[in-house]
Amino acid sequence: MINDHPRLRAIISRRAIPRALLVGTVALGLALAPAPDPAAAAPTGEVTIGLAAEPNTFDPHLTVGRNTQIFIVNVYDGLTARDAQGKLVPALATSWKRLNPTTWQFTLRKGVRFHNGDEFNADAVKFTLDRAINPETKATVSSELSTIARTEVVDPFTVNVITKTPDFLLPVRLGELYGLMLSPKHTNAVGKEGIAIKPNGTGPFKLAAWAKNERLVLEANEQYWRGAPKVKKITVRPILEDAARIAALQAGEVDLIAPIPHVRIAELKRNEKLVIKTIAAPRIFHVTIDVRKPPFDNVKVRQALNHAVDVNAILKSLYFGYGTRLATVVDKGALGYDPKVPPYPYDPAKAKALLAEAGFPNGFETEFDSFTGSIADHAKPAEAIVGYLQKIGLKVKPNVFEFGAFGPRRVANQTAPLFIYSIGNAYLEPSWVIRWLTQGGLGMHYKNAKLDEMLTRIEATDDPRKRAEQYSDVQKLLRTEAPFIFLFQADAVFGMSTRIDYTPRPDETQWLYPLGLKK
Amino acid sequence: MRAYIAARLATAVLVVLGVSIVSFCLTFLSGDPAEIMLPPGATAEHIAKFRAEWGYDDPLLVQYGRFLSRAVQGDFGVSLRHGQSSLPLIAARLPATLQLTVTAMLLAIVLAVPLGVLAATHRGGPLDLLAMGVALLGQSVPNFWLAIMMILLFAVSWGLLPTSGRGGPAHVVMPAVAIAINLMALLTRLVRTTMIEVLAEDYVRTGRGKGLREVMVLTRHALPNALIPLVTVVGLQFGYILGGAVVIETVFTWPGVGLFTIQAILNRDYPVVQASVFILATGVVLINLIVDLLYVWLDPRIRLG
Repeated sequence: MINDHPRLRAIISRRAIPRALLVGTVALGLALAPAPDPAAAAPTGEVTIGLAAEPNTFDPHLTVGRNTQIFIVNVYDGLTARDAQGKLVPALATSWKRLNPTTWQFTLRKGVRFHNGDEFNADAVKFTLDRAINPETKATVSSELSTIARTEVVDPFTVNVITKTPDFLLPVRLGELYGLMLSPKHTNAVGKEGIAIKPNGTGPFKLAAWAKNERLVLEANEQYWRGAPKVKKITVRPILEDAARIAALQAGEVDLIAPIPHVRIAELKRNEKLVIKTIAAPRIFHVTIDVRKPPFDNVKVRQALNHAVDVNAILKSLYFGYGTRLATVVDKGALGYDPKVPPYPYDPAKAKALLAEAGFPNGFETEFDSFTGSIADHAKPAEAIVGYLQKIGLKVKPNVFEFGAFGPRRVANQTAPLFIYSIGNAYLEPSWVIRWLTQGGLGMHYKNAKLDEMLTRIEATDDPRKRAEQYSDVQKLLRTEAPFIFLFQADAVFGMSTRIDYTPRPDETQWLYPLGLKK
Repeated sequence: MRAYIAARLATAVLVVLGVSIVSFCLTFLSGDPAEIMLPPGATAEHIAKFRAEWGYDDPLLVQYGRFLSRAVQGDFGVSLRHGQSSLPLIAARLPATLQLTVTAMLLAIVLAVPLGVLAATHRGGPLDLLAMGVALLGQSVPNFWLAIMMILLFAVSWGLLPTSGRGGPAHVVMPAVAIAINLMALLTRLVRTTMIEVLAEDYVRTGRGKGLREVMVLTRHALPNALIPLVTVVGLQFGYILGGAVVIETVFTWPGVGLFTIQAILNRDYPVVQASVFILATGVVLINLIVDLLYVWLDPRIRLG
């Protein structure tokens, strides 16, 4: 990622690295996770959950889509993890520090064993990361680990990960996202096809059985290093259809389901036997504007578009109020989200005035792409947005594609000047999202030297608190520049029976370790 | 007879081959797997690398050649999504689909034959109206809607049947009814029509004239002849039943080939889609072949012709 930003090296060598080395060895994982409590109650009871999709594989390097990543963490552990608030915390690594711009050192937790009894150590980390970046693995996640050059074993419980370019996000990457650790002996023994269905992690649950499309059974790992999970057995049923999934919860067949369409929330909340919980999901909806093409190269036109769309009304009518209006492309759960940066107010008169100032008092003609069949509904909000744009005098031709057909158009930079899209901020880090949205390809053409410099400085800062402070200016700049029509993030909705206790996490991870039965 | 079977077999092989070619080409129209396979942060460079690794950047003809040379050996490649060979993945789901479709077909036949016979023998009367009303309803109701309504009524409200999934005999009831309902309606109308025709035949009049009991006339003389077209239609409908199963398996999360294929299509898992189409097409062709042969056995005039 940083290859694309040559200024980074200069800045890092000038100021950030001395600071990084000084402050440096910022042991991000000072707060060690609690040791297993031997007096804790043994796991008990069973819970059945219904999910829209099951994992495609338990091979952490061949996962496809978030549905798999957010689930297989229950069987594996990464070097880092997230707490209930989404904060990065230690997991299989007890601490980590940047030794120099391109070397991260991880100190590993001792006494952790894989489900089959193999010891977790530095060899396992090296094996896992070597496998992930080996072209023969054909890892689907290789793009997210492409900064890794090699892994060196320092001692049995210390590893150095050397990156090709400085990578401040490496501790996040090597957490629950892309750093789930494999046992070398087991992985070699079962082979590539075997590991997909016979995982051997260090996580809180063991995979006891899996009949694809039918059920997947997790059993508590009573030797788990954090302490045994509360529930002994969890059965996961993939139930694709929303109506059937909700029916299964209503009929008492399952205790927990996700997702639930927003339109059903009010009705389900009236059911006393159910508990409905919502949490802002880190999926950022926005309209990409092709700033290279006139009249969108004019900032006033882009600001006019932002004033033209009543995002709150869209949230109210399409999402029944279960969503958050965003001022920029930084989501509420992300590091450094600044609630003081206000969203563009809905003001069609001002939008028209801005258009007139830009030299388009009578509007102009343009096209707007949207699509169906992706992970979330983009077509309906797109329809509403096109309507709002027409209200301020633009003649907008809407194009609706199937997602499979739209994807190649975007990859080939053949989209309309306006298209709706969304990106899940799995890293909870604005820089990751903004870099992707300003990459200068794949349909996204906005570039700004000042923004680039700001991000580069942020990326050279290891301390998350110091990074957070700097994101405020980034959000102000983005808001003024308006390279997108800023929209919203919708809430993720979970339904559960009153017999279980479960709190959804802000990064979408279906972390079942704290799931418990009410007494 | 041997020549007839050989000709039908040769046609069957050609049809399966043709379907494989069409399915191969169609998967390429449905979009690129790269965007779905890779994490959201993938850049153009990563997408290009993925396409090169999996051979999706080769010309279509080269890819087709590779596909065909493997397919004739029964190798449809490794599933992009599951990391396992496609054909065994599909084959493992066949029993579930067969259980559902065969149950649905038997259910449709068991309901349709008596209904059709009753309607024919009571032509114009209340029973006929009732049977035709049921048939009309069965043909008009969209099966996915019926499925959801049944779930709400029998599973959520009354708690009599499980909402979805595969397990004991209770699990198969709602999905089988949802699939059977259209076929049942079609067959009821067919049995009624053919029975009315057969009942007007001379041999039926002769039977009645000989003083045979009406039950004997219907079951021994009329029905066997009226059921010959039923065999053909049931065979031809097998493809439609499989099509219906794709929808119903999805609604009920019935772990069969249909559900697996839908997921593969949505995920652009080309090898699985191609393997699945191959297996389903072979199934339909085989059933039709069996029906053709059965028809010859049932009606010697065809063989003579």
